[in-house]
Amino acid sequence: MEAIEHPPIFRLPGIPDHVTYTWVVMLILAGLAFVASRRMDLVPRGAQNFLEVVLEQFQALIDDVIGPEGRPYLPLIATLGLFILTGNLLSLIPGVAGPTANLNTTAACALIVFVSYHAIGIRKQGAMNYFKHFMGPVPLLAPLMVPIELISHLARPLSLSLRLFGNMTGGHILLAIIFFLMGLDGLIGWALSGSKAGAFVGGLGGLIMVVFTVGFLYPLKILVSVLQAFIFVMLTMLYIAGATEGAEHHHAEHH
Amino acid sequence: MARSLMLALGAVFAFPGLAAAQGPAATGGWVGPFAVIAAGIGMALAAGLCGLGQGRAVAAAVDAMARQPAAAARIQTAMIIGLALIESLAIYVLVVAMILLFVQPIKA
Repeated sequence: MEAIEHPPIFRLPGIPDHVTYTWVVMLILAGLAFVASRRMDLVPRGAQNFLEVVLEQFQALIDDVIGPEGRPYLPLIATLGLFILTGNLLSLIPGVAGPTANLNTTAACALIVFVSYHAIGIRKQGAMNYFKHFMGPVPLLAPLMVPIELISHLARPLSLSLRLFGNMTGGHILLAIIFFLMGLDGLIGWALSGSKAGAFVGGLGGLIMVVFTVGFLYPLKILVSVLQAFIFVMLTMLYIAGATEGAEHHHAEHH
Repeated sequence: MARSLMLALGAVFAFPGLAAAQGPAATGGWVGPFAVIAAGIGMALAAGLCGLGQGRAVAAAVDAMARQPAAAARIQTAMIIGLALIESLAIYVLVVAMILLFVQPIKA
């Protein structure tokens, strides 16, 4: 990726860029949470109001997908969603490296989801009951079902991490390649070369290109950022629902 | 038409070999040019077929939404999840293409 993408402007020596900008996202979110919860009112105003609206949206989504018993998992789901959304939107700022455009960050998020939904499933149903679901409905089919279930469960963190990473990095490479194909660097170089015609034509052409590209591609990238955060959160909730739902079916069969 | 297609294919597939034959390439040997072609063709196939699949999914979802506007919100959520799952197949190809282009794991 070094071949196409420009390194970010602000870098800490010896620390990878995605780690630096993960800290930036953490600072943004922690600062927002601090400002919002410093003086909490019964009638919320300002930052508190904003965060309450956002978290109520998450809670409505959880009630919709998992049901009311999914409310204890609001911190996990909302943290993941806000972190990924902020990271995605941060990468739209020129000169800033988005943490979610790096496979390490997205794999970390996906592994957190993987471990937590198994832990939730085991805690809700007990280890024996939970792993019994891996064997399918008929005991005779267990040798066939166990490998299939194992592969499908192991593919979940893979697809979660690769989807987010691929969407973000693909967007950045698209933007870089479109700027490169339109010859933006040449036009800017012409504009800065000092000649009057160069300044006029190159500057005007570069400006038109930037406005055109930003007007076209930035809304698309904002849409993709929000959509990918939503999909990550949605799939997390579906996995948690799948891990907890088995309990009810199991009980329903027995009672 | 067929003849020109053959010629174009010949040019596409013969050129990397020729380029490798003339003089030692500095970076990746003969794998690099083929990796570029493979990335392009693979991404084109993946994007086209993924578009077909997503088109079918969206068509069915919009049909269902038009028949039953009351259930539009739930159908839309299911549609977006399905689209994400379909799209991830094309994303896999994108990741493979990026590995071929930037990481270049096979040196020859």
